[in-house]
Amino acid sequence: MKASGSSGWKGPVKFRMPTAENLVPIRLDIQFEGQRYKDAFTWNPSDPDNEIVLFARRTVKDLKLPPAFFTQISQSIQSQLADFRAYEGQDMYTGEKIIPIKLDLRVNQTLIKDQFLWDLNNFESDPEEFARTLCKDLGVEDPEVGPAVAFAIREQLYEIAVQSVSSARESRLSKKSRRGSDYGSASKASGLSMDLVKLFSFKSSVVRKRKDLDIYEPMVDLLTNEEVDALEAREERHAR
Amino acid sequence: MEVTTDRSSSKDAELELYTIPAQSSWFVWDDIHEIERREFTEFFSESSITRTPKVYKEYRDFIINKYREDTSRRLTFTSIRKYLIGDVNLLRKVFLFLEKWGLINFLQKNDDLVVEESEAKIEQGTTPAGIRVTSTPNSTRPVIAPPLVEERAEPALTFPPLTSYSNVFKKPALFCAHCGQPCPSHSAAFYEHNNKSNVNLCEKCFKNGDYGGNNSADDFKLSLSSATAAWTEEETLLLLESVLKHGDDWELVAQSVSTKSRLDCISKLIELPFGEFLMGSASGRLRSDEHLSSPSNLVEEMKTDGQEHKETETREENEEDEPPAKRKRAAMMSDGDTSLMKQVAAMACKVGPSITTAAAKAAIAALCDEASCPKDIFETTGDYKNSAADRSVGDRDTSDIEEQEEEKEGLEDLPVGLRMRVSVATALGAAAAHAKILADQEEREMELLVASVIDQQLKKMKSKLKFLEQLEVIMDAEEKVMEGAKDTILQERISVLQSAFSGGITKRWDHTYMK
Repeated sequence: MKASGSSGWKGPVKFRMPTAENLVPIRLDIQFEGQRYKDAFTWNPSDPDNEIVLFARRTVKDLKLPPAFFTQISQSIQSQLADFRAYEGQDMYTGEKIIPIKLDLRVNQTLIKDQFLWDLNNFESDPEEFARTLCKDLGVEDPEVGPAVAFAIREQLYEIAVQSVSSARESRLSKKSRRGSDYGSASKASGLSMDLVKLFSFKSSVVRKRKDLDIYEPMVDLLTNEEVDALEAREERHAR
Repeated sequence: MEVTTDRSSSKDAELELYTIPAQSSWFVWDDIHEIERREFTEFFSESSITRTPKVYKEYRDFIINKYREDTSRRLTFTSIRKYLIGDVNLLRKVFLFLEKWGLINFLQKNDDLVVEESEAKIEQGTTPAGIRVTSTPNSTRPVIAPPLVEERAEPALTFPPLTSYSNVFKKPALFCAHCGQPCPSHSAAFYEHNNKSNVNLCEKCFKNGDYGGNNSADDFKLSLSSATAAWTEEETLLLLESVLKHGDDWELVAQSVSTKSRLDCISKLIELPFGEFLMGSASGRLRSDEHLSSPSNLVEEMKTDGQEHKETETREENEEDEPPAKRKRAAMMSDGDTSLMKQVAAMACKVGPSITTAAAKAAIAALCDEASCPKDIFETTGDYKNSAADRSVGDRDTSDIEEQEEEKEGLEDLPVGLRMRVSVATALGAAAAHAKILADQEEREMELLVASVIDQQLKKMKSKLKFLEQLEVIMDAEEKVMEGAKDTILQERISVLQSAFSGGITKRWDHTYMK
C-alpha cells in the first residue's frame, strides 16, 4: 500500500557518483622522510590504470619529490579507486533525498563557509559548475578555490552514496514487510535528509524563513598571511 | 502616510513597466506556460513531492520579484539561493532559464562578455565591440534581446569578440605622425611605416623630408589610399564576375579587378548585400537553396514582357499568402529536376523581392553554363554589360529595369534574348503552376482539418447523449424503487390503522390522546 503521491521510488540503480560526470574524489596525504605531500583531486574511474602511473610519475617530477613518493602515490590512488570500484557492482538506493551540504574550507588565503541543499537523486547535478558559479558570483579571484569547493562537495556526495548502498542492502533484506514505506525508512536511515513531506507540503512555502537565512548564506573571508600561518599551525597541532 | 503611499504608488506605476525581450512575451504571472512545462519536465511529471508545479511557480515568481526589486543590479544565483529551499542544481536550472529568456538580468551586461572585450584588440575611439543595441532601460517598448552567448556543453570554446560596423566598414582615421594633420583618405596617398603600424606620414611631409623621430626614407612605403575610395560600376561588375570565376582565390580576383587591392575586394564584397552568397555560390555552386534563389530573382528581373511582369506580381502575391506551405514543400522540390531553370522556377517561390543584384550576374553565368555559350557573348556587348551592371548595383525598381531593358533590347544579340525570354516564360509558367498546386493543397488541408474538428464535436455530443441516457435509466430504476417504497408504506399504514381500530382507539388521531 504505497502512500499516495510518494516521491519517485525508482528501482535501485547501480552505484555511481550521483553527478553528471562520474568522477571519484581522491585524497592524498603522504609523509615520508620529513616531506609531506597533500593533495585532493577528482579522478575519472574509467581511465585506464596506466594513467595512474603516468600521473604519479609526473607529480613526483614536477614537485621534485624523492622517488619513494612515486610508489606511495600510485598505491594510494589505486587503493581508493579499488574501494570505489568495489561499490560499483552494488545497488544504490535512489529515493528522493535532499541533504544539506556544508562547506567549511580554507584554500590558500580564502576561507569559505556555506551550506546548501543538494538532491542526491539528481543525476544531472554538477559540483564543478556549482563551484564555478559560486566563485564567479562572490568574486573570488584565487583560481584554486573553485576546484577545492567542487572537491569538497564531491567528497560529501561520495560518502552519502556509500551510505545509501548499505541502506539499500538493509532495506532489501527486510523488503517483504516494508514495501510501501521504503521511502520513509531509507530517508530516515541516513539521518541527514530533510523532512520533505513537511517542507514541500501544500501549505508551506518554499521561501526560507528569515531565521534560517544566515545559515544558508555563503561567507567568504580573505585572510592575511599571519592569520593563514596561525591557522595552519593550529591545524598541524590538531592533526598530531 | 498618504504622502508615502502616493509616492510609492507613483513609483510603482513608473516601475511597473519592465523590459523583457519580445520573444519572452508569453510569460504571465498567473500561469505556467508550455515552454516552461517542456523545459522543466521534472516539475510536472508528478513523480516527486519536492517538484510540483506549485513549487516551480514559487521559485520562478520569487526570483523574478527579487530581480525587479532593483533592476539596476545584476542578480546572481548565489544571492538568491539562500532564500529558497530545494536542490541547488534545480534552482540553478530555473535561474538560468529565466536569465536566458531575459525575464531577469535582461538589462545587465554579461560579465563574461565584458571580460572578453577588454582582452580583445579594439581600435581606438570606435564603439566597443559587442555593445548591445537596445533602447534605454525602463522604456515601455519591448526590446529584442541581443544574441546570447551560452553554451555550457563546451566550456573550452570561447567566442571571438563581436566585430562592430566600424571594424569592417570604416577605415581608421589616420594622422600624419609629423605634422599632425589627418591623412586624407580620398585624395592623396600617404606613407606607412614598415615596422610601426601606427606611424603614417602625409605626402607633403614625406617630400619635405620630415620623417619625425629617427625614421629614414626607407622606412616608409607608399600606400595608396585613393585606390580604395570609390567603386565604380565597372569595377563592381568585374569584381562579381571574377568572384564567380575564381571563388575564394582573392589574389586572382584582385588581379582581375586591377585597380583594387585584395583586401578592398573582400571588404567591398562583404558590403554588397549578397556578397556572402556569391562567395558561397562560387565555391559550392547550386548546392544550397539560397543560391538558387538569386538566379530565380534574376528571372524576375529579366522579364522583358509586360505580361510576364504581371505574372510575377501574382506569383508574389501567392508567395505572401502562403510562405509556410512553400517552405515545407521546397525541400521536396529541390531534388526533383536537374534542369537549372526548372529548379529556378521552383525556388522562385521562396524569393522575396528584396534580393536583386548578384542574381543578375549569377544567372548569366548559370545560363551560360547550361546553354554552353561562352560568357564572351555578354562581354562583347558593352551596353548589355552596363545594363547588367546597373541592375547589379542595386537598382531594385522593377519598372526602371524594364525601361532600361526596353532600351537595350534593340542592341542585344537576338538569339540570346529570345532564348532567355523563352526560358523565362517556361520558368514563370512552372512557378505559377507550382503556386496553384500549393494553393489547392492548402485548401484541401483546411477542409480536412475542419472535417476532423466537426468529427470531434460529434463524438463529444454522442458521449454526452450516452451519459444522459444512462442517467435516465438510473432515474427510471429509482422511480420504481420509490413506487415500491410508497406501496409498502401505504400497506404499513393500513395495517397500523387496522390494529388501531381493532384496539378500540377513537377515530380521531391525536397524539395527545396517546399520552
